[in-house]
Amino acid sequence: MSTIELKNLTKAFDKLIAVNNVSLKVDENEVLCLLGPSGCGKTTTLRMVAGLEVATSGDILIGNNNVNNLETRDRNLAMAFQFYALYPSLTVAENLANPLHAENLSDDEIKKKIFEVADILQLKDIINRKPHQLAEGEKQRVAVGRAIIRDPQCFLFDEPLSRLDVQLREQMRGQIKEVLSDLKKATVIVTHDQLEALTMATKIAVMRDGLIEQVSSPHDIFAKPNNTFVAGFIGTPQMNILDCKIIEINSSIMKINTLGQEVKIDFQSPLNVNTNDSYFIGIRPRSFEIVDSSDSNNFSGKVDLIENMGSEILVHIRINESTFRSVLSRSHKLKIGDSINLKPKLGQVHLFNKDGKVIRDE
Amino acid sequence: MKKKAIGHAGWLWTGLASIVAFIYFFPVLFIILTAFRSRMDTLATPPKWIFTPTFENFYHIFFRAMANSTEYVSTGFHVYFFNSIYISGMSVLLALLIGTLAAYGFSRHPLRGNDTYLFIILTTRMLPPIIVIVPIFLIFRITGLAGTYTGIILMYTAFNLPFSIWMMKSFFDELNTEIEDASRMDGASERSVFFGICIPQVKAGLAATSVFALILTWNEFLFSLLLTNKLTRTMPPAMARTIGGEINVDYGLLAAMICLFIIPIFLITYLLQNQLLRGVTFGTIKK
Repeated sequence: MSTIELKNLTKAFDKLIAVNNVSLKVDENEVLCLLGPSGCGKTTTLRMVAGLEVATSGDILIGNNNVNNLETRDRNLAMAFQFYALYPSLTVAENLANPLHAENLSDDEIKKKIFEVADILQLKDIINRKPHQLAEGEKQRVAVGRAIIRDPQCFLFDEPLSRLDVQLREQMRGQIKEVLSDLKKATVIVTHDQLEALTMATKIAVMRDGLIEQVSSPHDIFAKPNNTFVAGFIGTPQMNILDCKIIEINSSIMKINTLGQEVKIDFQSPLNVNTNDSYFIGIRPRSFEIVDSSDSNNFSGKVDLIENMGSEILVHIRINESTFRSVLSRSHKLKIGDSINLKPKLGQVHLFNKDGKVIRDE
Repeated sequence: MKKKAIGHAGWLWTGLASIVAFIYFFPVLFIILTAFRSRMDTLATPPKWIFTPTFENFYHIFFRAMANSTEYVSTGFHVYFFNSIYISGMSVLLALLIGTLAAYGFSRHPLRGNDTYLFIILTTRMLPPIIVIVPIFLIFRITGLAGTYTGIILMYTAFNLPFSIWMMKSFFDELNTEIEDASRMDGASERSVFFGICIPQVKAGLAATSVFALILTWNEFLFSLLLTNKLTRTMPPAMARTIGGEINVDYGLLAAMICLFIIPIFLITYLLQNQLLRGVTFGTIKK
């Protein structure tokens, strides 16, 4: 069975704890993205799964078997590396064939497999070239090809698209997703690119400083962040996270003071909060709509800066001494200095306590 | 002033460079010419530039006339020539073998305090070798290594190891370790990672290290003088004996010996020069 399970996995380099008590489960046919800023321990986690790094403590189970004491080559995994790691002196075909040598296949079988993979990844034209003669996108496809040519238990990808340009990245994202969905194996992808994670994964684990902050479906990670870190890390432009104080609670509708303004917000269900306590509210820049009048349901401020985003504009709005940002349609014809009234969309306001944890109606 | 295209230095600079190059090469040229001069020609002042070349000096390296006789006997010089080749070759091979393995260890499986060990290794090269000759001489006497091939080969191996380790380590450090990891994923054992993946990628380093080690060993004089005997003596002390103690130094003979002496090292350096250039410039160009 193709599953990966991590139980309390920890990796310490001397005093630095790179991975701290991580527990995760990846089921068959599931693509888990380990997402996080550089240095958060995601690659170390992946390398421990691969057996390239020895865990300080904890267990790794692949297909329900504990592989803690198995060598890399005995774990039956395939991995695509960030810098492709193609053998410089071998041709594309030889690079693809290399993982098969350990399997004692006949030459004909090896040829057949190379042909199949070359077909899937459109490598036929470059099959006899050496890595230094390949473009970045082609190298990347060979690296993926080398991972999928065998029939391993699980797949691991380390920042597979980080070296490609934007266009190629988009194209490859689709291609890898397609290949992975055909393979039906447990797959772990490491990335710092949230778009990559949101599009390719069926499950995302957000990591920070060696800890898992949240594991959810791509939609839930975006729509229901567990804390201010996840809320700020996922989504571009970044979520506005503002200090606030609750003034009045009327079932699900609360009057809060933020940015020196009193605003009524409907949280749709009653929350376990107290009046006069301080909290954070989080509102994504795309969760605002422009309204005509200024009343107690709206944020009223002045346009401070306008950034062009193509079909949309990113507007920095100043209220008293603070600013927040909102993405609006270009059709609004805003100018710097204009007065503006914004109303948060219903159900798209998040409330966090001062420790950064979300407050949600459970 | 006319601006020169990049990539063309122009005749003036090329001419100046060739003059400097000639100054460097002149002593070697002088020796080569002397090797082909007859005994009379070598002693001429000012030196004769036009002369009839002769091979008699080369012949006399190996065969010498007995006193008061026309019979020629072997000088035994071929033994020293063989000794130089054998001793240098063996010690360079050993240093390369041990050095490469050690460097891989230092690079991939660092010890606690790795840098300290590397520094200690380097300190052995900080002092002039003459300083340690007394204890080494005693060790050789006690262990019976003095005058043996094993002794001098071990000596030279130890002598070459520090920089072999340092050089090879820098080559291993430059490699992309992802490729090694990839081959582990592909089912390679640690041994095949080393021999199949790492070694082919550091060929240039092996070439550069072996040439440097070879030049050092081939030209080494002091240890050979003190730690070898008549049977195991290498070329440098053997040549020195040709000068020493005689009233009339036969410069033609000495020059001929030098010519023979530089041929092997010249050939090897020439054969490996492409690798050597790559070895020396390694890491200066981003991958």
